[in-house]
Amino acid sequence: MLGSKVTALSFLFLLLLGFSNCESPTETTMHTNNWAVLVCTSRFWFNYRHMANTLSLYRTVKRLGIPDERIILMLADDMACNARNKYPAQVFNNENHKLNLYGDNVEVDYRGYEVTVENFFRVLTGRHENAVPRSKRLLSDEGSHILLYMTGHGGDEFLKFQDSEELQSHDLADAVKQMKEKRRFKELLIMVDTCQAATLFSQLQSPGALAIGSSMKGENSYSHHLDSDVGVSVVDRFTFYTLAFFERLNMYDNASLTSLFGSYNPSMLMSTAYYRTDLYQRHLEEVPVTNFFGSVMETIHTDSAYRVLSRKESGSVEIRMSTEKSDHDKERLLLNSNDLDQIGELNTEDQRGNIECIWSTFHKELQKVKDVDSFVNYGYLSHVQYHISQPYL
Amino acid sequence: MGESESESEAPKVKLRPIVRLGMFLISHSHLLSVVCCTAGVLTLLLLPLLAKNTYISENALMPGSANPMLSSQEVSEANGLVKDLTNLDLKPMASGIESQRLIAQYMSNLGAEVSFQKFYPQSNQFHPLHFFSSPDSATIRENISCSSYGLNTVGIIRAPRGDGKEAIVLVTPYNSEKIGLGEALSLGIAYSVFSLLTRVTWLAKDIIWVVADSKYGEYAAVDAWLRDYYIPVFSGLGIQNAEMCHGLEENAITERDMRDGFKRAGTMAAALVIKVVDRSEQFEDSLSIYAEASNGQMPNLDLINIVNYLAVHRQGLRIKVEKMWSLLNCKWLMILGEILESLGHLAKSLNPQWKFGIPAVDYVEGTATLASSLYYQALGIPTGPHGAFRDYQVDAITLEISSRVSSNNKGRQNDFLLRGGRLIEGVIRSVNNLLEKFHQSFFLYLLTSPSKFLSVGVYMIAFALLVASLPMVAASLYGHANNLDPGFEKNKSNHPASASDELGITLRSWKWLYAAKKVLVVHLWGAVVLLLPYFICQIPNCSPTTSFVVWVLLSIFSLIILFWILGSPFSYVNASQPQQREWALLKSVTISAAFIGLCLMSVINFATAEIGALLMVPMCLMAHPLKLDVKSRKLRNISRVACNLALAFIGLPPTAFLVFKCVFEGFDGISVGDFWNWLESIWAWSSATYLYIGMIHLPCWILCIHVILHPC
Repeated sequence: MLGSKVTALSFLFLLLLGFSNCESPTETTMHTNNWAVLVCTSRFWFNYRHMANTLSLYRTVKRLGIPDERIILMLADDMACNARNKYPAQVFNNENHKLNLYGDNVEVDYRGYEVTVENFFRVLTGRHENAVPRSKRLLSDEGSHILLYMTGHGGDEFLKFQDSEELQSHDLADAVKQMKEKRRFKELLIMVDTCQAATLFSQLQSPGALAIGSSMKGENSYSHHLDSDVGVSVVDRFTFYTLAFFERLNMYDNASLTSLFGSYNPSMLMSTAYYRTDLYQRHLEEVPVTNFFGSVMETIHTDSAYRVLSRKESGSVEIRMSTEKSDHDKERLLLNSNDLDQIGELNTEDQRGNIECIWSTFHKELQKVKDVDSFVNYGYLSHVQYHISQPYL
Repeated sequence: MGESESESEAPKVKLRPIVRLGMFLISHSHLLSVVCCTAGVLTLLLLPLLAKNTYISENALMPGSANPMLSSQEVSEANGLVKDLTNLDLKPMASGIESQRLIAQYMSNLGAEVSFQKFYPQSNQFHPLHFFSSPDSATIRENISCSSYGLNTVGIIRAPRGDGKEAIVLVTPYNSEKIGLGEALSLGIAYSVFSLLTRVTWLAKDIIWVVADSKYGEYAAVDAWLRDYYIPVFSGLGIQNAEMCHGLEENAITERDMRDGFKRAGTMAAALVIKVVDRSEQFEDSLSIYAEASNGQMPNLDLINIVNYLAVHRQGLRIKVEKMWSLLNCKWLMILGEILESLGHLAKSLNPQWKFGIPAVDYVEGTATLASSLYYQALGIPTGPHGAFRDYQVDAITLEISSRVSSNNKGRQNDFLLRGGRLIEGVIRSVNNLLEKFHQSFFLYLLTSPSKFLSVGVYMIAFALLVASLPMVAASLYGHANNLDPGFEKNKSNHPASASDELGITLRSWKWLYAAKKVLVVHLWGAVVLLLPYFICQIPNCSPTTSFVVWVLLSIFSLIILFWILGSPFSYVNASQPQQREWALLKSVTISAAFIGLCLMSVINFATAEIGALLMVPMCLMAHPLKLDVKSRKLRNISRVACNLALAFIGLPPTAFLVFKCVFEGFDGISVGDFWNWLESIWAWSSATYLYIGMIHLPCWILCIHVILHPC
């Protein structure tokens, strides 16, 4: 739904620009924005740690640059206000109680009994009732990188929601497939911290999906430590070590997914972290973790913003990464853009949608453009315009 | 009957497997009944081996996950209360009301809601019409004097952020007229926990502290409070009564407190009764758990588990459950234990995977605990004030902490209060975490040690094996009695049955109705026998022995009268019918009745049924007319006679009781009056065991005697 809106908007925008350089966003599918869906599926006081897990990750992705409006936070219970909580309105993920995860800026989108399998699917697939506000929707597009984090009690190919429902692996695969069809993501990282987490994404088929789970089939995921003051376990091992990894990073760090995935030590986790990469096209060592856990993406430097309709402010479109960015980063940037080209070509071959028909006329125009680089650049330009409001810029 | 029909129909037709299996079982019923009975008894002896370790089944409980918060500050406050109470006791002038006032003062100083509840003692009279229902309040207040009432003090802490729908109850029974050190200490423990709980932020359930006035018995006080809690009286009678007695009331209790009336919190999640006994002979502090409520009902095993876990792993207390001490010195049990142990070793050497052997000492201890567990469940009498809670489906246990505390050793007393308080705090915090009622763990179980249990699925096997032989033998006896008439077999096989034969078969097949009538009459008599104690109780100044003798005489008299009215089965001789098989039919019907009775009882109170089956099943199966045995003077028959007589002797409830009492407690001071007292206690607590003895066991015994003495 949103994808079509975006295309329509870009269409108008391009009309204004003129017809000489037009480009369908569907064909480039450049990483333009980041979303995070963080789900805690279990309720009850003794599952305190699941809420703490989710809130810790919420804090981390916020710290690394995903804004609140792009985070869908689903918490199945309210531990902070549970009568059994020794520290009212506070949630901790460590027994040192240094960090209150339930501070001022926590925006819970779905809470309590709203966290159902149905609502979860509605968020993923974007099929909402009309009355659902935008803040509760996943408004991603084909340029989105989505982080889907889930924690709760799971088993062989299922994840328990609340105390009554379960999400099955083929349901999840189905939802992801729908998302792919609707071009709701470019890349999707599914991170699951439950028992037998690896079984949950065994049915996935959609390209672009990357999945990591805390444990293999037949293994349990264990909690990390017990807070004897609050009287419950406060964090799970997998999440604890994930957080430990991210605590060392800031949003300009360049750690790759490989280093994250390699950081899990089975003897510390007491389970084997399992990741599935066969659906993912890029090499993990080239993908920075901030591609999913933060909101850092490539930008292309162009000499002039618009070749035809040159304006005064077009210079300002030139986007600078922070000065801390190293040369190394630029290398990565270039590499990635090369990859992107290939993917873009693949996509043009693959896609046989209705929208393509609309764009077919422009496609002919595109053939005239000899210079490939400028072709790509102008294509991106529209995106840069569109997403100029990215918070880190 | 179904079998005989299918047999006579057509042997050619292939019968269904289930029918063939049934016929096979019936034709081998003698062998099978012996095998089943032996297996049943053996399984019972093996039960301690099959016991599993207890585990916390409910995730939400998380016992011991939080550090205890009770500190020396609360303990010193509690010490103040203990001191005040013991000082109060030393003063000769102090009346009962003083101590309640003191406790109430302490409670309200903590900020708890305090209320008093007045109750009147109930006489434990036998009301045959109210056997299963609690006596209604109108009858209680028939003849009470205003001066004799008990006063419970109740303090309630509201959970600051809880929804007020649930509560945890602490009960400390104490005698307001004479406060012992143990009672003062139990109040001290409860007070230290109570004062801590007024300050904590993690309460999700309200806390009710009931200081029960045990002047008229601990159970009565708790029961009275619970009745008022759950069954509010809306009639004017209660108020009227209160007003009537108002003049006598001392001004010590403020008017407002009484008028505020009864305070309630939510439904009770669990209740803990705390008692402290002074056992100077022991070297270390220990904790006894009493859990049996009326009719062998048990609280959820999880409650015992958390207490056990916290006491052993956190407070270092030794946990005890009741044991049959005399069984510990049993030679044969020790030998059996050693045999089983060596068998276990043997099995382990064959295959290291097999682990069923336990040390002989453990086996003996397990058996002693199991026996006591069975006995107290079978008795159907609550083993403490916690029993009153079970009647309202609240899980409750009594914790009896025994210590060597003396009032002059201050440090030891502090340590004792700290450990006791921390244990109670831990249990409360764990129950506080609970989201629903206790439901996850077992309700039907037997304990073989504080940390080992037998679930219903295991202990039912012993009973099922014992009882299984009954229907088989009954069917076989019935079949024989019908088929084995002389000439019957020949008739059937040689030529098709004529019309007169058909009629004969029909008549014969209904012959069991005579036996059934007889059995029914005897069971009816059993009901009459049950009602007799009600009238005997009315006789004033009657010693237990005379009551018992009167009861026996009246029972025999009523038996004779019943036979006289309804046609004596003894004199019933139908000359036209062959008499030989009459006893077989009678035995068959008796066994069926016993089977039905035992199965019914196993649903109501398993332990009673198990012990009853142990006594009754061999007796019912062995019963055989003496006359026939004596006639054929073979060794086998003579031994059967001996067995019959021995089983009949042990099968009679009074003799069984006295024999077991002799075995377990020694011979001195045994009298038949003991049985009367025992029975009286059973009916006073409206135990279903009383019904079982009168309605099932005694009639079956009479019928077995009838079979043994049958004039055939």
